[in-house]
Amino acid sequence: MLSVNKRGTRRRLKKVRVAVRTPGGRLIYHYKHKKHSYAVCSCGARLNATPTGPRSVMSKIPLSQRRPNRPYGGNLCPKCMRKLMVASAVAEGLALLAS
Amino acid sequence: MGVIEVGRVCRKVAGREAGRLCVVVRIIDKNFVEATGPKELTGVRRRRVNVKHLVPLPVKLDIPEGARDEEVIEALKGTDLYEKLQKARVSG
Repeated sequence: MLSVNKRGTRRRLKKVRVAVRTPGGRLIYHYKHKKHSYAVCSCGARLNATPTGPRSVMSKIPLSQRRPNRPYGGNLCPKCMRKLMVASAVAEGLALLAS
Repeated sequence: MGVIEVGRVCRKVAGREAGRLCVVVRIIDKNFVEATGPKELTGVRRRRVNVKHLVPLPVKLDIPEGARDEEVIEALKGTDLYEKLQKARVSG
């Protein structure tokens, strides 16, 4: 019989219910943590070198291991970052030419 | 080699030093140059740099090939960029 345990921590929306068949043949729910979402760039690409996990684990990881060590590291993917940098550098060059 | 030549002031667009200014001091081959910030000015270390990671600016310094960092700083003092570089150093 599938029954939902609504007591205590099990009631939290955070947890996800997974139906599991036990060795005894019963069908029960197991309560598992929801998966954490991946860090993504504004272009939709998944960011490399950005681990995901509960905050309790993430706060123990050094900052240098949580995002790439470059401007916009952990916010923009390298392609978007470079586009941004090239655009600003070209604009700067044109401004220098004009002055 | 086009516009990437000794003395050319460039902006780095990739890696940890992206967005910083640097000066080309030596051409290694068609893909790589040696560039320097110099480090105490812009934070860019003296290092080999892929040409694809540089965007040239319309400023060229009068420095010899393989110039030392002190020589580059002296050359930069004659340009408008020097103040800008020092500001960049304070903010970044």
